[in-house]
Amino acid sequence: MIPRLTLLCLVVASTFACDGLPGRPNPDDRYQRPEDVKDFGALYATNCSGCHGATGQLGPATPVGDPLYLALAAPEYLRTIIAGGVAGTAMPRFGQEAGGTLTPEQIAILASGLGARWSSREAEKLAAKAPGLVAPVGGAVPGHDGQVERGRGVYGQFCASCHGPDGRGGEKAGSIVHAAYLGLVSDQGLRTTTLVGRRDLGMPNWHDLGQRPMAPGEIGDVVAWMASHRAPAP
Amino acid sequence: MEPHDHEPLPPAVAPVTRRDFLFKLGLAINGLAAALVGIPVVGYVASALVKDRGRQAWIPLGGLDSFPLGETRLASYRNPFTTPWDGVTADVPCWVRRKASGDFQVFAINCAHLGCPVRWFPQSGLFMCPCHGGVYYEDGSRASGPPPRGLFEYQIRVRANHLEVRGGQTPNLSEPV
Amino acid sequence: MNRIRLLGQWLDDRLALGRLYEHTIGHRIPASSASWWYVFGSATLVCLIIQLVTGVCLALVYVPSPDDAYASLEYLDYEQPFGWYLRGLHYWGSNFMVALVTIHMVQIFLFGAYKYPRELTWMVGCALFLATIGMAFTGQTMRFDQDAYWGVEIIVSILGRLPGVGEYATHLLQGGPIVGAETLSRFFALHVFVIPGALIGLLVIHIRLVLVLGISEYPVAGKHVEPGAYRDDYEGVVEKTGIRLMPEGGGKDLVFGALVLLAIVLCAALIGPKIPNGPADPTLIQTVPRPDFYFLSLFAAFALMPPYLETVVIVYVMPLAIVLLFAVPFISRGPERHPSRRPGAVIAVTVVLLSLFTLAWEGVQSPWSPDMDAWSGVPVQPRFVRGRSPLAHAGATILQAKQCRNCHALDGAGGKRGPDLAGVATRLTEDQLIRQVLQGGGNMPAYGKHLAPHEVTALVAFLGTLHPENQPPARSAASSSSSPTGFPEPR
Repeated sequence: MIPRLTLLCLVVASTFACDGLPGRPNPDDRYQRPEDVKDFGALYATNCSGCHGATGQLGPATPVGDPLYLALAAPEYLRTIIAGGVAGTAMPRFGQEAGGTLTPEQIAILASGLGARWSSREAEKLAAKAPGLVAPVGGAVPGHDGQVERGRGVYGQFCASCHGPDGRGGEKAGSIVHAAYLGLVSDQGLRTTTLVGRRDLGMPNWHDLGQRPMAPGEIGDVVAWMASHRAPAP
Repeated sequence: MEPHDHEPLPPAVAPVTRRDFLFKLGLAINGLAAALVGIPVVGYVASALVKDRGRQAWIPLGGLDSFPLGETRLASYRNPFTTPWDGVTADVPCWVRRKASGDFQVFAINCAHLGCPVRWFPQSGLFMCPCHGGVYYEDGSRASGPPPRGLFEYQIRVRANHLEVRGGQTPNLSEPV
Repeated sequence: MNRIRLLGQWLDDRLALGRLYEHTIGHRIPASSASWWYVFGSATLVCLIIQLVTGVCLALVYVPSPDDAYASLEYLDYEQPFGWYLRGLHYWGSNFMVALVTIHMVQIFLFGAYKYPRELTWMVGCALFLATIGMAFTGQTMRFDQDAYWGVEIIVSILGRLPGVGEYATHLLQGGPIVGAETLSRFFALHVFVIPGALIGLLVIHIRLVLVLGISEYPVAGKHVEPGAYRDDYEGVVEKTGIRLMPEGGGKDLVFGALVLLAIVLCAALIGPKIPNGPADPTLIQTVPRPDFYFLSLFAAFALMPPYLETVVIVYVMPLAIVLLFAVPFISRGPERHPSRRPGAVIAVTVVLLSLFTLAWEGVQSPWSPDMDAWSGVPVQPRFVRGRSPLAHAGATILQAKQCRNCHALDGAGGKRGPDLAGVATRLTEDQLIRQVLQGGGNMPAYGKHLAPHEVTALVAFLGTLHPENQPPARSAASSSSSPTGFPEPR
């Protein structure tokens, strides 16, 4: 009787012991169909980190991990951009309906996950004082109602110390009037950078740019001035 | 038996004994039976050589509206020559390029090199293969890598505002679609 | 105890076990053959037994149909008690079996053991080797995941290249117009009936030959194999210094076989089975098919050989290589057996093994393959972003968005197909960069049609910043620094 009992114990014990072995497949490693991936970290890493940086900052494209940007950008706005891209820029269309690979649900996870991961209380307080992120940019017709002229003045006051007296680049920062650069950035992109800055690369936001925060109208003016340097593609 | 004093001379032709006859008969019957079993077995296994070869059909891929102008999109169809238990393997993907309103190109998913699934990248206008690095331009022509030719292209037609391709076989170099 | 003895005697009387022992594991071998070099054949047999036992067990659960195969594998991995462990044993058993049968073959080749009178033993061994490789490939297919599915597609495409018969061969293998249920059933029948049957049959002949002809004695430099005298010599050696295989000669086999067994057990328990990487759904095109390790070198060879050679290799070189392998005893007919007197053989083995390992290593890296997700998933390193102009930033997004990273790494991160771009500005001038991007060349596609002029300007501006701080970018002697884009300084 005793050997049989021992044997039974051994079998039971080995069954449980096996559960803890490192070779046992972990159900978490199971293959997931690409459209079933729901983890923000995985989605961000495969689809966004290439241009926007592994942490949402220090990438060549808009710093989507900047807390101020996230405090200003509504998830709905982010969703539209992720799904449909930004025409004329390098931001591709990721939505399945636009020929991309992400489902609406995955896009929603990305749009809300950005804020959940990288937003901060401090930035939200600052954002409360900020003009809206998205605004129709004046100066679609360059020179109209003197906006561009005003913008030149605003530029001189807030930006020239780094980007040079005429915007062609200075000691601390490069040209923001290069035709090719302006040909690859949207007016909204110019506004976003002016407002949010590139804290990761040393460019202050609208609040800290000069002696006083830029006024909402000034942001529109300077964007219009920059946009007025656009040249048709050669 | 004791040896005889006068043994009979061996006959010029050995007489067919009953044992000999039965042995040979046995061989013959077994040969016949083997043929009756063997020929159908070979036919059974080799039927794949004949039954589905060259079978092609027009297969609808979807309404014309589902393919935006100037873009290349993934489509898939159910292979018409299939068994119910083929499962997902009978869902065949392909790339549909709409050049102009009525001008389509449909490419097989299989790389012309060794059959791996090519992926379309609209931003750079290239098809890339994940196996051995074949790359194709948007019109299916070879851009770089080991493929000996461009992507396999389906015959197409438009019927009742639907795009149809002529398919049914996995394309390879000896049977390009 | 007495009863057990009686039973033994009774069984021996009916089954003639004593005589069986004398003629098989108790037969006499030269003492020199009881060497650590001679253990690989029996170790391969140990693997085969593991494979048979675990294979039968897996077949109790596995369902060979496209949809169910994957589901039954997941069941084995996560639900069936010990299922993952048996899968692990079967997976690692196959790895060890392929490795050991190869080592066995190399040892036999180096020791000249295939020479007279053991030519047939070698040839049957070659057939066993091919059968083992066949088991490995059909076994990989049993997993019927994406790797398996596309692996079959690759084999079908290889067959499709056979001139004249390609069409027939593909249909014969597919069992239908596409890779589908009948294909899987065919591979299943091959994996569990046809090849194992052949394997066991061949093994019986192989062992029969070993028993009839005797195990080759340890080679001695200068001792020649003379067909006229060899057998008498051998019998003399066995008579004078012979020992019984079991128990005197086989201790090393037992120890090594047990070690192999333990190694398989450990690998199964600690590393586990290969997890199937997604159902064999051809519409799931976001896949990067890779073969199991035994076919990595073949996989690499097809990526690396010049395209015009491929069909030649498939049609002539591969069959010829197999014929040559079988014909080894008839090609190498010299009387010497010891490797030190056969430099050609040693060089041949070294070259073949080195090429196989190099190719397999390349196969693991697959530098020829675009990294399909690099463009959106491999970040531009912050140090290539800091201190750049807005134009260069725009250029970096173009580099990513146009999938350049799929083939080009930045300081090691990204595709390995094309050159690393980290120091590209020191190698190419601005004009050369523009030309390369627009016209392609050197295995790079031309991007002319898919890059707007602004995009080219920005991209080249970014590439122009990719040089070490202490090394200025390349400039053409002819052009002045006031070129239209002008490599902007990092600021």
